[in-house]
Amino acid sequence: MKILIADDSRVMRQIVVRTLRQAGHGSHEIVEAENGRQLCEMALAERPDLILSDWNMPEMNGIDALDQLRGSGSAIPFGFVTSEGSPEMRERAEAAGALFLIAKPFTPEAFGDALGLAGITP
Amino acid sequence: MSELVTPTAEDLQALVEQVWTSYVDPEPLLPAAPLADPGCWSAVTTVTGAWRGMVTVELPERAAHAVATRMLEVAEASREEMADAVGELVNMVGGNVKSLMPEPSQLSLPMVASGSITLPSGAQEACRADLAWQGMPITVRVHLLENDAEGAA
Repeated sequence: MKILIADDSRVMRQIVVRTLRQAGHGSHEIVEAENGRQLCEMALAERPDLILSDWNMPEMNGIDALDQLRGSGSAIPFGFVTSEGSPEMRERAEAAGALFLIAKPFTPEAFGDALGLAGITP
Repeated sequence: MSELVTPTAEDLQALVEQVWTSYVDPEPLLPAAPLADPGCWSAVTTVTGAWRGMVTVELPERAAHAVATRMLEVAEASREEMADAVGELVNMVGGNVKSLMPEPSQLSLPMVASGSITLPSGAQEACRADLAWQGMPITVRVHLLENDAEGAA
């Protein structure tokens, strides 16, 4: 399986990769994007099985990237990993077509549960 | 019109502790006496919308370096990595503060400075957490913004 991780913070991308490993998902191929625009480009070029994206990023934010992806006909499973986990943000994420929203700080268990929703097993 | 509600100091300290123990050190931060000048690295994020405020993190350079090495799990960290790590800290605390406040609102990207950040004149401190980690001060503050106050400089 291939997972695309989009976050403008390299530190956070590394923490997400580490947490995936702790959740038993260390064998997947990982590709990384620094913003929403790169995310859209890499979604087309890399055809990942899952996209894990920050919400708040420069160039293009995560929700606009998701809108663009869905508008182009892409149905790649998409989940947010963001510091903003309020009910309003979760509703916006779901309405836009996200499968889940993992709030920072997160646990390996949160990733295990979320990836299960996307049908991705360790 | 911004609503004059604020998180409590207890809320803020709990949020900071949660972020800290998740990514920096499982040992909790200790309460500390407030310092007039807590350090030389600062980070800020701004919330605008139904609630308007700013969240700042201030810490000494040695602590910023240690935070980066802990978050990246490396022995050494560059200044770019230090800025990334401290920015991510304020982003996580700011996002969680935003989630406690009235919505809808937007969270800005974090700004990090090696030095102090000058807050807008309309910013009023609402609550703060003065903490210590390995003998180094870590100060996190929430400021309310008046409706005409702009971001930090």
